[in-house]
Amino acid sequence: MKKVIVDARGRVTPASSKSHIIHRFFLASAGGRLGINFWYGPKQLEDLEKARTLVERSIDLYFEEETIAQAKAHFKSYLPLNNLITVSVDSPNGHLGAAHRHDPEQFLHISRHEASPGLVCGDIVAGMWEVTLSLHAIVTDYCEYSLQIWQEEEAAQ
Amino acid sequence: MTWIACELHTHTFHSDGRQSLNELALGAKALGFDCIALTDHNTMAGLARKEQIERETGLLIIPGMEWTTFFGHMVIIGVKDYQDWRRVGPGDIHAGLARVHEQGGLAGMAHPFRPGSPMCTGCFWEFEIRDWNEIDYIEVWSTTFAPVKKNNIRAYRLWTDKLNEGFRLAATSGRDWHLQERTDAPLSVTYLRIQEGEAPFTERAIEALSSGRVSVTLGPRLDLEVNVNGEVYQIGDAVKGSDERERLASVKVLADFTSRHEHWHLPEQSFTVSLKSNLGVLSEHAAMPEQLPLHTEISVQGLLWMRAELWGIIQGVRTLIAFTNAIYFD
Ligand SMILES: [Zn+2]
Ligand SMILES: [Zn+2]
Repeated sequence: MKKVIVDARGRVTPASSKSHIIHRFFLASAGGRLGINFWYGPKQLEDLEKARTLVERSIDLYFEEETIAQAKAHFKSYLPLNNLITVSVDSPNGHLGAAHRHDPEQFLHISRHEASPGLVCGDIVAGMWEVTLSLHAIVTDYCEYSLQIWQEEEAAQ
Repeated sequence: MTWIACELHTHTFHSDGRQSLNELALGAKALGFDCIALTDHNTMAGLARKEQIERETGLLIIPGMEWTTFFGHMVIIGVKDYQDWRRVGPGDIHAGLARVHEQGGLAGMAHPFRPGSPMCTGCFWEFEIRDWNEIDYIEVWSTTFAPVKKNNIRAYRLWTDKLNEGFRLAATSGRDWHLQERTDAPLSVTYLRIQEGEAPFTERAIEALSSGRVSVTLGPRLDLEVNVNGEVYQIGDAVKGSDERERLASVKVLADFTSRHEHWHLPEQSFTVSLKSNLGVLSEHAAMPEQLPLHTEISVQGLLWMRAELWGIIQGVRTLIAFTNAIYFD
């Protein structure tokens, strides 16, 4: 049986770059496995002029004076610009890893016996859990995300 | 002590790499490496089968992770447990460094001048460093064919500036290796000079890097020895102070052209062997490989540090090919 614990949608803008959104939720019963379905989009900034402006601003910040002109001439080598949001998980007993990947859609799970890449196995204990969305970069005018978290019985070994 | 060939910056599919730890280990072994550090982004989950993979492949694996924060990427190696990066702000790096050191680990600035946000958030180092003694190493050569890249030249200059200011910190290379792919681009190797003994390998590797017993190269392994008043000092050592006003040191620069020689190619040529220091270039000699080791005498008056560099032509480009870490002067 699948019990949905979090079903959230959100919308963020570039102002939220370099911030975290923490979903803290209570598991009433222990056991089974925790499933996480996370999606965000759009992934890419399609607007070439906006992308160029962002890249040029970044080049001004990060390049040495004498290399700026050349870097700007090659601004296309830094495209496409992407949104990046990563997921990490903390149980009441401690940290259970992160899925630092570029995929805009991720199905993750954790149980005592197995876990998705980046996450570590751990008992699904009762108590307060946290799923953190880390917004490394939001480059589009807005970026929508959805997050579902559920608890279910673990498939037989 | 023995020199071992290391690749200190790698990823698996536990973060954004496209390889398993086993594939990575086999790939490293095939390229003549003795050791890698696994530095996945913000997770240590990829290390679950470390001991088994070490046994099966014969490759040594140093546990680590890459703190992929919004304000800088920092490789931390030799830590036992995951260290949380999420609460660290741009002014808080020293708290993070303290946690790494408490765990017996070391921290290095990863690719400090790679362009940052929004192309790659945190790729450019923006953390405020209040005490450079807390930084253990700088990854001065990142990715492949490293010494010709502007970001790396800038990182190498940063390292030199810090040595000139009197800080004693190491310089390494890291491929930032994400997948198994064939490449003709020259690969960097960080050699660590490891103490023999019963202590676990990771502890000995960490001790070597922490002591600056490091030599970085695209090809031959460069070594440096300084002899002052009959005492011989190696890379990472500090030459003891003395009251004598005019002190001379005999310096020996060695290069081992046999190490991993099937994995790199340098055209036959006369190389330039250069001794660099806080006083600038101390000596420069042209030398064919068979003319090494090279012996020279220098005055140690006013010296804080000295390193050897090997310059030459690789893939048609004249560039730095190898450098040692520093020998220091008290
Ligand atoms: Zn990085
Ligand atoms: Zn990396």
